[in-house]
Amino acid sequence: MFDLWDGLPVTVQDMLVALLLLAPAALIGLAVIRGFAPGPLIRAMIGRFFSANVLFVLLIAVSVGLGVGLIAQERGLRHGTAHAADKFDLVVTAPGSELTMMMAAVYLQPTDAPLLDGATYAELAGHENVALAAPLAFGDSYRGAPLVGTIADFARYLSSDRIEGRLWQTSSEAVIGAAVPLQIEDRFTPAHGMTGPHSEEEDEDHDIDLTVVGRLGVTGTPWDRAILVPIETIWEVHGLANGHALAAGDQIGPPFDSEFFPGTPAVIVRSEQLWANYALRSQFTRDKQTMAFFPGEVLARLYSVIGDVRQAMEILSLVSQILVAASVLLGLFILTNQLRRHMALLRALGAPGRFVFAVIWGYATSLLVIGAMLGLAVGAGAAAALSEIVSRQTGIAISAPLGWAEIHLVAGFVSVSVFLALYPAYSVLRSPVATGLRS
Amino acid sequence: MSVSLTITDLVARDPRGRILLSVDALSCEPGQAIGIRGPSGAGKSTLLMAIAGILAGAEGQVKWGDVDILTAGQSARTAFRASNIGLIFQDFLLFEELSPAANAAIAALFLPAKQRRGLRQRANEQLLRLNIPQDARTVASFSGGERQRVAIARALANDPAILLADEPTASLDRDTANRVADDLTRLARAGNKTLITVSHDHDLLSRMDRVLTLTDGRITNDSRQERAGV
Repeated sequence: MFDLWDGLPVTVQDMLVALLLLAPAALIGLAVIRGFAPGPLIRAMIGRFFSANVLFVLLIAVSVGLGVGLIAQERGLRHGTAHAADKFDLVVTAPGSELTMMMAAVYLQPTDAPLLDGATYAELAGHENVALAAPLAFGDSYRGAPLVGTIADFARYLSSDRIEGRLWQTSSEAVIGAAVPLQIEDRFTPAHGMTGPHSEEEDEDHDIDLTVVGRLGVTGTPWDRAILVPIETIWEVHGLANGHALAAGDQIGPPFDSEFFPGTPAVIVRSEQLWANYALRSQFTRDKQTMAFFPGEVLARLYSVIGDVRQAMEILSLVSQILVAASVLLGLFILTNQLRRHMALLRALGAPGRFVFAVIWGYATSLLVIGAMLGLAVGAGAAAALSEIVSRQTGIAISAPLGWAEIHLVAGFVSVSVFLALYPAYSVLRSPVATGLRS
Repeated sequence: MSVSLTITDLVARDPRGRILLSVDALSCEPGQAIGIRGPSGAGKSTLLMAIAGILAGAEGQVKWGDVDILTAGQSARTAFRASNIGLIFQDFLLFEELSPAANAAIAALFLPAKQRRGLRQRANEQLLRLNIPQDARTVASFSGGERQRVAIARALANDPAILLADEPTASLDRDTANRVADDLTRLARAGNKTLITVSHDHDLLSRMDRVLTLTDGRITNDSRQERAGV
């Protein structure tokens, strides 16, 4: 049985789970409505209390929509952050917090970090299994866009060779990320530290003019907002050696001379073989010297912690939706009291109790189902809006389309609330006909 | 189908045990038109509900033919009403959002599928006989007289042998009340239906074959009269 299930395509499994979740609602509906045609009376009831019904539907839609939107958003955020780390197979830094260093190297969140020396970098760059060892240097910015010093190969690798214009050839040239509000040939003066997008703090400015010579393709990562410059530029503006001996003249890029290498907080390492990454991580994880980690693994650990929160969030979301549905059903219960005479009339005319039950249940269920459907639309809208906000704040491309998890959540909500809708129907049915007619 | 009514030792009490209605014996031939009158609180509506089989907790016997509608199970009573009884109320109790045809054929929503078509057809015929506009989208704009005629069409749609009416003209002006009274009695007699109506309306009661007077829950007068105004 389990083998059969495991052998099914994931989409089929998802569809079957959704159908299974909806099955109780469908069975209740079949049992309640079978043999009757309560549609016209259900429509009449929706028409009679139209404003209240619209309000009920909106309440359900918003509560379902927020739950669905948050869950879709959380998944979108996970996918977005994981995608942003795709190009960062292995990061080598000085020992410290992997999370902090990942945030700095992958997501460009500023931090103070100890530096790796030239010998370590040379060892990495010269390793037979290393295809790319890109040193990074942070600390400067231009109007909110961080300046990252690195090597040309890394810019090429990061953008998958999608570069408009060209890469730098001198230490006064820069390549901008796709979302940086500068144009090719623009000149700018970077400032020390992180400044805001409209900063006018001239006294913090470095004494250097940089010219934009290229623009990287969109990566959907915070690097889209970064300005990439030769690592030599960062070192020089801080009055440090530029990684090369004087005899090297105006050389830009590797190889670097270990003696003139001022240090780098992080080196992004890429190997052609997967196994080599593991070997490199092991080789460069040394107490008090270096720390090597896979950003993907750090993220996975982070997600597993967040995963518990997500499960709690899903349960809380479902509980809050059901509470809203229960409140709506209470409202319907009060409304249907106004119809008590008409329901008694139907029974006096010879309608079986189950028919009256079907009318009230069908009325409540219609509102719940319409609200849940609208909720999916509200959820998609909320997730899109949240994605836009988070993307704008972090630079991480986040797309949060609704998936099966949300459909399952809504299906579960429909089944539970449709079951709860049996109560108001039962309470109307319980009222004696003669009392109902006189009420 | 025509059935006779026999009531024996009927007693209905309020929740505190006070007797609301006590009828030792009453019988009614098929096709008879009976009016029930009496002061407010005399038990007229209670008697009508007992006759309709919708009064809970009453004692005694209320037999329509062989069926004791007072003691039969709930589904049996419901099924009996669906097949044999048409009900009309003072305040019409229509569904405002539905058309006259949908109101008159409301029972089609719960009757077995094979009976629905016939019921809708009969409902439309009754509406035609009662001069109710067929094209109205809902009954919301109808006058009181038109509404009560829709209610009469509803009561007759399943071609019941028994028509029970509770103050059918009380919410209408005099002229309209007379026309509705005419229609009700005409259609009842044309179909040889037993008509039992509770009313304060002398004009309506004067159209009955027999008028019962109820005082303090007891029948204090049972008078047969010549048919008038038919």
